[in-house]
Amino acid sequence: MSELTKEEEILKEIKDKFSDAVENSIIQRKSRIWIDVSENAKLDIMRYLKEKGYYHLSTITGFDEGEKLGAIYHITNHKIIINLRVRTQKENPILKSVLPVYPSATSYERELEDLFGIKIDGLPEGRNYPLPEGFPKGVHPLRKDVKLEELNKMLNEKCIKEE
Amino acid sequence: MKLKDKIILWSRLKSPWIIHFNTGACNGCDIEIVDALTPKYDIERFGILLKGTPRHADVMIVSGPLTRQQAKRFKRIYDQMPEPKFVLAVGTCACSGGVFDGCYNVIGGIDKVIPVSAYIPGCPVRPEAIIDAVVKLITELEKSAN
Amino acid sequence: MSKMQIPLGPQHPALKEPENFMLVLDGEMILDATVNLGYNHRGVEKAAENRNYIQDIYLIERICGICSHSHVSCYINAVEEIAKVEVPQRAKAIRTIVAELERIHSHLLWLGVAAFELGYDTLFMYTWRDREQVLDCLELLTGNRVHYGINTIGGVRRDITKEQADEILKKIKYLHERTSYYVGVVTEEPTFLARTQNVGKLPKDIALELNAVGPTARASGIEIDVRKDEPYFIYDQLDFKVITYHSEDVFGRAVVRVLEVIESIKIIEQILKNLPEGPISVKVGWKIGPGEAVFRYEAPRGEDIHYVKANGTEYPERVKVRAPTLANFQSLPYCLKNGYLADAVITIAAIDPCMSCTDRAVVYDIKKGKKEIFDWEELRKYSIEFYRKKGVKFS
Repeated sequence: MSELTKEEEILKEIKDKFSDAVENSIIQRKSRIWIDVSENAKLDIMRYLKEKGYYHLSTITGFDEGEKLGAIYHITNHKIIINLRVRTQKENPILKSVLPVYPSATSYERELEDLFGIKIDGLPEGRNYPLPEGFPKGVHPLRKDVKLEELNKMLNEKCIKEE
Repeated sequence: MKLKDKIILWSRLKSPWIIHFNTGACNGCDIEIVDALTPKYDIERFGILLKGTPRHADVMIVSGPLTRQQAKRFKRIYDQMPEPKFVLAVGTCACSGGVFDGCYNVIGGIDKVIPVSAYIPGCPVRPEAIIDAVVKLITELEKSAN
Repeated sequence: MSKMQIPLGPQHPALKEPENFMLVLDGEMILDATVNLGYNHRGVEKAAENRNYIQDIYLIERICGICSHSHVSCYINAVEEIAKVEVPQRAKAIRTIVAELERIHSHLLWLGVAAFELGYDTLFMYTWRDREQVLDCLELLTGNRVHYGINTIGGVRRDITKEQADEILKKIKYLHERTSYYVGVVTEEPTFLARTQNVGKLPKDIALELNAVGPTARASGIEIDVRKDEPYFIYDQLDFKVITYHSEDVFGRAVVRVLEVIESIKIIEQILKNLPEGPISVKVGWKIGPGEAVFRYEAPRGEDIHYVKANGTEYPERVKVRAPTLANFQSLPYCLKNGYLADAVITIAAIDPCMSCTDRAVVYDIKKGKKEIFDWEELRKYSIEFYRKKGVKFS
């Protein structure tokens, strides 16, 4: 498929340069590449991609797969989106901050901390986002083991106690 | 009724001053409220003025489902309004939580925290409905005064 | 000069939205600014996992009342990609018409709000009055002025008749004249220029570094527009320009938005004169997936990106929404720094913020150790007064 040459090119370059770090990869369709990479090599791969023109971090999506938590970094040069997926264990999840490469990542990384409980190593101190102050510590709404009805019940009881 | 009270009531009826408060809305109702001010609907011809501070307002127009972080602030603003005061819940979200009912950061409609004088459903509310509600409120006020 | 810290909560005049900025002042100049967000968190992403895909359309629509079609279209395109659905051309064309009408209404709304923030009430009234024409078109097509509900998975829910098309063409012809007038106002009115030129400067390299999107980025000379970079709907068949400007300031952002309205009008005319025939939707089952997809969309405020993961059931596994304003907030502290306090209001309004927050500003004068309560309305009046003393008056 000659129309995927650009995608194939960049994927090959990444695989050649970072062969140990790339676990899985797929060119889903035109302009969409999905790569599972190891957390340790994440920043190096990002630096490399940024030099290649993938300077725009659209957002970071956190996810809960059951046994593992993780994040997908959606990086683009406006023509092709490369989705880098990294995983971390559910007990004491921790990921490195990508601020050194993408300074726009602050809000996205705070979201990972608040909604999934993933500690971002290197994220400067600051107010939590998006959860409000007063939200119970240790409760991370987007985790799969947090059920919506129970969460609502607990928050309502907490509200009544405070009044 | 004393003359002083009659004058106050007359001025409230003839020119209710409004404060608008957004308790976490999507802005759909908010832009329709602002639309009510613009030339096509022109709510100002009824003497209705949009004020910035609760201390000058007779009527509070609230849009949006009540989010947890807004609840305390909202109650505070309500308490700052002088009596008699009226609250209009504008939009389905303010009436009952609307489409956000069940979201973990949404308590529900605004009547969970303060008493509401009138509920205006709609998603979003049409400016005509807002004008209709205010007129109905004024009519009720006149009736209860006599 | 005493250093003052001002927590500033911006609000649109009647779109009271809570954002919170901490401004450190030295006299009149802003030395530093930090952004605190999160007052309007409702928990949509979690709720989306507990509702089926169709119910989620109505939930995601209400993330924002101004760009609701953008959010839904982005989400639906991602879902349709996972479901491997081929949407008919006529449906895509109708989606495009609604999308461009939304862009026009949003930019006119912004122009009015910006004018109001500057103290230019007449322009505010004019633009919002003309915006009613767009809302009439939308109501004609979809049945509602806001939250159109026209999208469904696999296409659109309502068709467009010849009479509706003719009516819309008439209305946008009127809009074309009015917008040309606004282009004149924005580019030539000396009072407008005095308040917006060289205000809120965001140089191109910083905009690139901080990943600015939409008109904010385009006003710094960056030519990015998802409609051209990754065409969706029928944009690849349409003839339109990406508007950029070189001035990197609030003035540039105003110019870009106003000229984009003209481009949107041209797009709608092109489509209505050549509407493809065919069905308006294809049937898609309740269960979607498994699979995942990412979709980018050019909302009026910039790049909107949604990620959807499906697991083969009727409920999505994960829905992630990143609205364009969040991307632009990262560059806001830079725009505010080294500007005057009096310019803070219009600088913040110029990125066209679309979030909800409350209004509160506490001014803490370190030297005097006193606290004062300011609110957005007062700060707005302060900036109008500041410029009135310099001779810039609006009617």
